[in-house]
Amino acid sequence: MNITINWSAFIQVLAAALGFTTLIVACFSTGVRLLTNAQNVASKARKGNAKAEQSESLNLIGAYLTFAVCLSALAYGIYLVVPFLPH
Amino acid sequence: MDPIFIVGLVVAIALFFDFTNGFHDTANAMATPIATGALKPKVAVAIAALMNLAGAFLSTTVAKTISVDMINDGVSITAQMVFAGLTGAILWNLTTWFLGLPSSSSHALFGGLIGSTVTYFGLAGVNFAKMIEKVFIPALFAPLVAGLVAFIATKVAYVITARSQAERKETDISTGRNKFKIGQIFSSSLVALSHGTNDAQKTMGVITLVLVAGGVQASGDHVELWVVMSAAAAIALGTYAGGWRIIKTLGTGLSEIRPPQGFAAEVSTAVTILASSKFGFALSTTQVASGSVIGVGLGRKGGVVRWNKAGQIFVGWLLTLPAAGLVGSLSALLTMQGDWGLIVDGLLTLAVAAAIFTISRRNRINSTNLLSEVEGASEVVLSARQIQANAKAQKKADAKSKKKSKKGKK
Repeated sequence: MNITINWSAFIQVLAAALGFTTLIVACFSTGVRLLTNAQNVASKARKGNAKAEQSESLNLIGAYLTFAVCLSALAYGIYLVVPFLPH
Repeated sequence: MDPIFIVGLVVAIALFFDFTNGFHDTANAMATPIATGALKPKVAVAIAALMNLAGAFLSTTVAKTISVDMINDGVSITAQMVFAGLTGAILWNLTTWFLGLPSSSSHALFGGLIGSTVTYFGLAGVNFAKMIEKVFIPALFAPLVAGLVAFIATKVAYVITARSQAERKETDISTGRNKFKIGQIFSSSLVALSHGTNDAQKTMGVITLVLVAGGVQASGDHVELWVVMSAAAAIALGTYAGGWRIIKTLGTGLSEIRPPQGFAAEVSTAVTILASSKFGFALSTTQVASGSVIGVGLGRKGGVVRWNKAGQIFVGWLLTLPAAGLVGSLSALLTMQGDWGLIVDGLLTLAVAAAIFTISRRNRINSTNLLSEVEGASEVVLSARQIQANAKAQKKADAKSKKKSKKGKK
C-alpha cells in the first residue's frame, strides 16, 4: 500500500491558519479594547475635557482601523469561498 | 422498470441525503454563537440556512468535478450503486446525530459509495491507500490544527482585552468582551457560507453523475439548473430544521463558551477550512469545528475538557466510513436483486429514518445523548465550577441511593 502524506500542503495549511486566525483575532481584540477605552472617557469628553476628547477620538480611530482590517479579512474570505470570482 | 424512474428515485434519495447533511452540520457554524447568546437560536439557524442556500448557488462551477478517488478507475458507477451508497450515508448520518456524535457527512457519503462498490465489484474496486490518506489522516490532523489555532487565538483574545483590577476600579468599566458577540455574527456566517459551497456541491455532483450514467444528461460538464435549485433548497431546509431541533436539546451544553472563545473558535474554523481547500489538504468542516471548540475550551483559564467524550467523538469519526460502508454494501445486496430490491431498500431506509426520528422525539427533553454535532464537542468543555456542581449532585444521589438500599435491607 502506498500512502503519501502531502506534508508541504499540511505545513502550509497550519501556517496560514495560525497566522491569519491570530491576526484577525488580535485585530478584533485590539478593536474591542480601544473601543472600550473610548467609551470609558466618553462622559468626561462630553463635559468638555480637552484631554479626554483627544483620547476618545484617538481610541475611536484606532478601533475603527482594526475593525476595518477584520472586515477586509472577511471580504477576502468571501472572495476565496466564491468560485465565481476570478482567482 | 423505466430507467428514468430509477434515476428519479436516486435523485430523491440524494436530496434526502442533502437534507440530513444540512441538519447534521448546522452546529458547525451556529453552536458557538447560540451558546454565547450572540444570536438567538431561531435567527442563527435562519442565517445558517440562508448562507447554505447562497453557498450552494455560488459553488456550481465546482460541483461537476466530484470524484470519488477512493474507488478505482475501472469501476463504472451505476444508479443502483449510488442509491445503495446513499442509503448507507443517510442512515449513518441519522444514527450519529441521534447519538450526539459530530461526524463528517462527506465521509459518510464516501463510505456508503465505497461499501456498495465492494458489493458490486469486490474489494479490488476500492483504493485503500487513498482511503487512509483522505479520511483517516485528516481525521487526526483536523482537530490538532484547529485545536492548536483556536487555543492560541483564545489566549491572544484574552490577553489583549485583559484589564487589571486597579484599572477596572479606577475607570469603572468592564473588559468589553461582550463586543465579541458582534464579531461572532460575521465569523459564524462565513463558516456557514463555506459549508454551503462545499457540501451542497457534493450532492449536485452525485446527482449529475447519476443523470449522466442514466443517459438523462449527455455529459457531466455542467450542472442542470433544477439540480442546483433542488440541492440548494434541500440543504437549506435541512439546516433550518435540524438547527431548530438542536436548540431544543441545547440548553446547558454550550453555556460555558464565552464570546471571545466563540469568536476565536469560529474564526479558526473558517480560516482553517479556507486554508485547507486553498492548499489542497482536504479537512472535514465538522472535525475542524469540533477541534476549534475543544481548543478554545482549553484556552480560557478555568476551562476543562472532558477527554472521555472527546474520545467517543473521535471513535465516531473513525467508524463513520466503515459503518456507512457496511450499510451501503448491505443495501447494495438488495439493489443487485433488481427493481424490487431497489424499492425494498428505499422503503427500508425510510422506515429506519422514521423510526430514528420518532425515538428522538420521545426523549428529546431529558436525554443528554441528543446533543448533536459541535454541541457534542462543546459538551466536552466544562468549567471547574460545573464539574464541582456535577460532583456534588452525584454525591447527593449516591447518598440517597445508599439510604434507600439500607431501608430496603431493614
